[in-house]
Amino acid sequence: MRSFGEVWKSTVFQKWIMAVTGILLVLFLVGHLSGNLLIFLGPEAMNSYALGLKELLHGAGIWIARIGLLVMFFLHIRAGIILSARNRASKGIRNAKTEPRASSVASRSMIYTGLLIVVYVLYHLAHFTWGAVHAEYYSYIDAAGRHDVYRMVVESFQQPTIVVAYVVAMIVTGLHLNHAIASAFQTLGVTHPRFSPIIRSVGPLVGAGLALGFMAVPVAILLGLVGG
Amino acid sequence: MKLRLHIWRQAGPSDQGMMKTYDLDNVSEHMSFLEMLDVLNEQLSERGEEPVAFEHDCREGICGSCGMVINGRPHGPLPRTTACQLHMRTFKDGDEIYIEPWRARAFPVIRDLVVDRSSFDRIIQSGGYVSVNTGNAQDGNTLPIPKVAADKAMDAAACIGCGACVAACPNSSAMLFTSAKAGHLSMLPQGQAERYSRSENMVLTMDAEGFGACSNHYECEAACPKGISADFIARLNRDFVKASLGTSA
Repeated sequence: MRSFGEVWKSTVFQKWIMAVTGILLVLFLVGHLSGNLLIFLGPEAMNSYALGLKELLHGAGIWIARIGLLVMFFLHIRAGIILSARNRASKGIRNAKTEPRASSVASRSMIYTGLLIVVYVLYHLAHFTWGAVHAEYYSYIDAAGRHDVYRMVVESFQQPTIVVAYVVAMIVTGLHLNHAIASAFQTLGVTHPRFSPIIRSVGPLVGAGLALGFMAVPVAILLGLVGG
Repeated sequence: MKLRLHIWRQAGPSDQGMMKTYDLDNVSEHMSFLEMLDVLNEQLSERGEEPVAFEHDCREGICGSCGMVINGRPHGPLPRTTACQLHMRTFKDGDEIYIEPWRARAFPVIRDLVVDRSSFDRIIQSGGYVSVNTGNAQDGNTLPIPKVAADKAMDAAACIGCGACVAACPNSSAMLFTSAKAGHLSMLPQGQAERYSRSENMVLTMDAEGFGACSNHYECEAACPKGISADFIARLNRDFVKASLGTSA
């Protein structure tokens, strides 16, 4: 048996870290999206859900989740950067002509879409969590004395430039997930002649579904379907 | 037919190397790709130029010696076909053909289209074998092997070690080769004793040789002249982590 240090540094183990953290982040996205969709139920549903998140486990819940997410993101991004730098070096000189047969734009651009997602997440946190950008929408309080998340979101997404930024970010995220989900199963070694073809075709659909779900909120607000 | 060939010429391992263009006339469509290169080399020799160095041996698609990137695809445009089994009828009169060596840091170019693939040998040496005690072999029928397992082991064992998987991979990963060589043993009872140490040793040797990591592009599976499935990669991923984190011998 090899030492854990050797195993940790191996490409296959770093890929495992990438896959496990990636799947956990996708599960987070599912939870995040189900919260977002409450906007269609109106201000009461949205603001009480937001308060509920903050008060979960006497306020500890949100910090447990945040620390967990930070660790997931850190390990995922770290593995991504280490592996793609290694892969680039492993190829060395490139052929004058290369004709891909099986890879996709999504699979070949994972590091770029990944880094763009990092930029987007920082912007997104600055917008809705820190109130550092578009601060004019951040400090509303609703009639029940809660942070008026509903109004913050609605007024933000009545600005076409903000909507464009979010829609573009979700296209990039969708592209990342297009390759990510099925790829994670392959890396984890979860293959079976009966299920693998299903995973390979359902993975991209789940990615597209998540991206479209997230896009639905800003687009619906901009079109005046919500909060109009 | 008439062809314009763009071929990678590199005098030695430390030479910079560059693409050179050659025009070749009177190419028969019945020639194999390597025979076409033979004709070119004869003409180059007659002109007093250095012939293009390329590897070849059996010329019937089973030895794994030949290998070159033809128009951006390892072994050329046809699926499940080695360069030697590719025939000129696949091309048209007037075609331009790019002929380049496998590209990987772990496969340094020795000359022209010839690369050093001894990194593959070192991966095999690190675990691609079954230790067998001397003495009489036991009766074959005492080792029941399901037909499905025997067939799958044979699928993996079809690997000829040509390196097309590495050449096709955008990351120059050797996971298809390594997983096929580990997989054909781990499918069979004889390979069980060393299954987990094998997976660790072969993966770590592969990393040490400077191959890239697998990104699941599946270019390898599409380029493999023996059609080996990337499912073997998943199997090796599974065995490696079982060996590292679970119980292992």
